[in-house]
Amino acid sequence: MIRVHQLSRHYRMGSSIVRALDGVDLAIRGGEFVSITGASGSGKSTLMHLLGCLDRPTSGLYEFNGRLVHKLSDRQLAAIRNRTIGFVFQTFNLINRTSALDNVTVPLIYGRKGNTRAAAMEALRRVGLAERARHKPSELSGGERQRVAIARAIVNNPQIIFADEPTGNLDSRTGRQILEIFHTLHAAGVTIILVTHEMDVAVQAQRLIRMKDGKILEDRVVDDALRGEMEAADERFRLPQGAGVGSTPARSG
Amino acid sequence: MFFIRICFMAIRGLLANLLRSLLATLGVIIGVSAVVSAMSILEGANRDILRRFESMGADQIMVMNGSSQRQSRQAVIPSLTEDDATALESCSLVTAVAPEVQASTQIKYFSRNMGVTVLGTTEAYAKINNYKTREGQFLTPEEVRAERKVCVLGHKVAEELFGETTAVGRRVKINAMPFTVVGVMEKKGVLGFRDVDNQVVVPITTAMKRMFGMRNVMMITVQAKNRDVLEAAIQQVKRTLRGEHGIRAGSDDDFLVFTQEQFKAQLADVTKIFTVVLGSIAGISLVVGGIGIMNIMLVSVTERTREIGVRIAVGATGLTILVQFLIEACIISVLGGALGILLGLLFADFLENYTGVLKTFTPASSIYLALIMATVVGILSGIYPAYRASRLDPVEALRYE
Repeated sequence: MIRVHQLSRHYRMGSSIVRALDGVDLAIRGGEFVSITGASGSGKSTLMHLLGCLDRPTSGLYEFNGRLVHKLSDRQLAAIRNRTIGFVFQTFNLINRTSALDNVTVPLIYGRKGNTRAAAMEALRRVGLAERARHKPSELSGGERQRVAIARAIVNNPQIIFADEPTGNLDSRTGRQILEIFHTLHAAGVTIILVTHEMDVAVQAQRLIRMKDGKILEDRVVDDALRGEMEAADERFRLPQGAGVGSTPARSG
Repeated sequence: MFFIRICFMAIRGLLANLLRSLLATLGVIIGVSAVVSAMSILEGANRDILRRFESMGADQIMVMNGSSQRQSRQAVIPSLTEDDATALESCSLVTAVAPEVQASTQIKYFSRNMGVTVLGTTEAYAKINNYKTREGQFLTPEEVRAERKVCVLGHKVAEELFGETTAVGRRVKINAMPFTVVGVMEKKGVLGFRDVDNQVVVPITTAMKRMFGMRNVMMITVQAKNRDVLEAAIQQVKRTLRGEHGIRAGSDDDFLVFTQEQFKAQLADVTKIFTVVLGSIAGISLVVGGIGIMNIMLVSVTERTREIGVRIAVGATGLTILVQFLIEACIISVLGGALGILLGLLFADFLENYTGVLKTFTPASSIYLALIMATVVGILSGIYPAYRASRLDPVEALRYE
């Protein structure tokens, strides 16, 4: 589905050139659940923007569904984003002045589809938010907003969903619920590409790509061993029962 | 369908910021309402004046004091006399001649009195203007010749002073001088530039010599035999008057000659000047209105940078973003235009009904023009903000804080 060869993206910052992405080779098959992880500035978001057809590479080849992306016009890229790609962002990026339903309708309008209301309601139902359809984003909780964003991403039945830190602004319980939705979508055959810097989120995927300084550091299958490692690490940092964050240590002297 | 949805999207965007949208369009509202009300006043005045000209009859020639070469600051030296009128009567292409003088004064009948216009003229006045008496009779040649103190009352004057009772034969005082009422005129309204219902007609001789001590007449109305000989009659009138006034060949006339057609042509010239002046003011106010819209649209684009990023991410092309913002600008502007038209019509209506002097008329063309101009302003002021929105880099836009 996705094949990139020596993909680079350089930015000019004053007199110096920042190599946000530096010669990346990668292949992702349809139906995979991939997480891309790495520290801030490692190039994971840049990679996602390029793979999501939001940006064009400085050099290298990108083949999406057998088509060379650099040869496509802006209009063709917009059509690909509209029909085959769904985006979910950390900050939800909903249009605040309109209802949840209207937010979900937007991709259908640009896709020039008929009967947008019914399709948007169906997408909201899939994320369990049908009864909140008339509410504005400001009247919804963080988790609900992210579910509206997911409904917007899936309303055109895309083949692939790019999620950029989708749990970053949510508490862990809500975050787990959101990840559950991604698992359901994946089970239905949708390719999921999850960009995150949280390892416990990253190991939810089948495959993990670790990036550093614009290059792929590691590309491996997520197995039970890696999950066990993560849980052990998590355990080490977990505080003992009763020693809450807010408790005041006893003073001596 | 797509276009309609984009329109709805734009309208929702505007409704979300209703106050700001209204403030953005304030310039257009004021501009358009000013244009519509001014056009209504201009057109109303134009029609009113035309109606007055047309009430005078197309076969009339108006001869007035003044020179065509006169500088605007020089005073008019009156040159027309009663003798001129007598001389004009002998012209072959002329059927009637009515010299006129007028003054404003008081008329009194016992305790009742009112301000009126006194018109001094001859028996020909009624004939030329096809103006008939309701009661009694109009001035006779004999009354004019003998400087009789008789008067003919306009419809309103008779009603004010005598109500339902008969006026003929009663004695009234005009300018503190006793006059006998010999006739009452029919209801006519406006004749030329006079409200003849509020007028009292007396023999010109009486008015000039006994009442006001005048030596010159103010105007001579001449009726040509028919419209076809109007030009020839004008030449005859000019020749006769030049002869009377002893003007040598090559010198300018010391009088002015007008016909209804010439008045109309002059009016058209004046109207043209006013239209240009009003058009310029309208143009300036619409430019100001356009700047207001552009300003708000630029703020809107900056404020909605992230939204634009999302829209591009979910499949909008640069062109759709451009169209969407352009439609928003146009809706603001056309909405402003519509409100402006409404306000202009209300203002024109208010002027006509509450001042009682101004006549207004709103031509349909001025409404279409206002709407077209509002749309053009919307498009012109929306192009740059919409272009900026359409050129946003989606990655940058999504990161915008």
